[in-house]
Amino acid sequence: MAVAETSKPNLAVGCKWGGTEEAPLVLFPEGAMKVQGTGLAILALCDGQRTFTEIVEELQRQYFGADPQRIRDDATRFLEQLHEKRIVDY
Amino acid sequence: MLPNPLALIAEITHRCPLHCVYCSNPLELAAASSELKTEDWQRVFAEAAQMGVLHLHLTGGEPLARTDLEELTSAAHQGGLYTNLITSGLGLSRERLKRLVAAGLDHIQLSFQDSELDRADWIAGTKSHAHKVELAVWIREHRIAFTANLVVHRQNLDHLEETLAFLEELRPDRIEIAHTQYYGWALLNRASLMPTTAQLEKALNVVAAAEARVKGSIRIDSVVPDYHAQFPKACMGGWGRRLMLIDPAGKALPCHAAGVIPGLAFDNVRERSLQSIWQDSSAFQKFRGEEWMQEPCRTCERRTEDFGGCRCQAFLLADDAAATDPVCSLAPTHNIVLQTLGQSPTEVISASSLARNWTYRPNPGRL
Repeated sequence: MAVAETSKPNLAVGCKWGGTEEAPLVLFPEGAMKVQGTGLAILALCDGQRTFTEIVEELQRQYFGADPQRIRDDATRFLEQLHEKRIVDY
Repeated sequence: MLPNPLALIAEITHRCPLHCVYCSNPLELAAASSELKTEDWQRVFAEAAQMGVLHLHLTGGEPLARTDLEELTSAAHQGGLYTNLITSGLGLSRERLKRLVAAGLDHIQLSFQDSELDRADWIAGTKSHAHKVELAVWIREHRIAFTANLVVHRQNLDHLEETLAFLEELRPDRIEIAHTQYYGWALLNRASLMPTTAQLEKALNVVAAAEARVKGSIRIDSVVPDYHAQFPKACMGGWGRRLMLIDPAGKALPCHAAGVIPGLAFDNVRERSLQSIWQDSSAFQKFRGEEWMQEPCRTCERRTEDFGGCRCQAFLLADDAAATDPVCSLAPTHNIVLQTLGQSPTEVISASSLARNWTYRPNPGRL
């Protein structure tokens, strides 16, 4: 399912943060996923409050100088992949 | 350096109101009187969390048979463990479910035997199906992950399509289709449970169609049966590499079935810390690494992927726990598996004749 501008992404039911501050993980029913770099930056903003538009704007601030369209495309792809794996809901 | 285990499987009791013919519990069930106390389990969970264990799987028997399950769940949750309850649902009222969720339960895995009441109750040897259906509705009232689990075998594979449609209606987050693995009671009932090749081929298509249908709303995980595969499964992700199982009496095992292998000495969490058992217990050391391997495993390029398959199966089928898993097409003993498959009757047996042929798993006594 495509993520919409007004979607408010959040960790899916049964998924939660784990690991340590240096090596954060997302835990889900049958496993865990290491999260780092831009993936971590995106997921950290998915709190169920911010809209996708707001998340992209925040990322564009954090990665100032990078191609804004590319940031939007990367965030879209990342969230849609995690949605399919039932790790993110929106 | 030895990495720490990722998951702890806590078989908190062998008591169970169901009598499933495919049960993976050992034939020698632990008596209720031998079970660890609440505070023993609480200490074990705290130790596990300190070691870096991520997931705790509360299983049995039927874990709900323990009246302290809420306390155990709470201890695990507070220690930071991702807490999963593997259950038949018998013994779970709407109120108790609420208490478990409040205690911090993250995920519930509810087992189903079939889509149709009579067939399901016949496989479980207990009237249980109707309650499970009711429970599934209550589970969706909470924000916890819900997996509907279905163990499949020759007696229920022919209506898999129907059963999957039934499970989809329950709106789980995941559906797990687990082919019967032949240990414990399932091995005893293997002649009645082993699917035919035609059934398996059809099942693959049915599962693929279901996956396409529910994509994005339900995740379907299917565990392929190893007797029919070309190569063995990486049992438990390798012996003593990722998982640790504690039985109701506190014995620490590398897997559910390891008790069948003669000569292994299992340490008990009553006497040693989890960390020291994981590091030094002779049973955990026995099949770590590659030193123990025989040919063809020893020089096989797949040895780092499947670790030679399952040690228990090697013992149960080939009488040598260090042999290549006989399900492997490269194993010198592979004929044993081919013969078993060749001998399996191809028809689905009628309920009445099956009832005479198969052995229901009993409920262990107090002593």
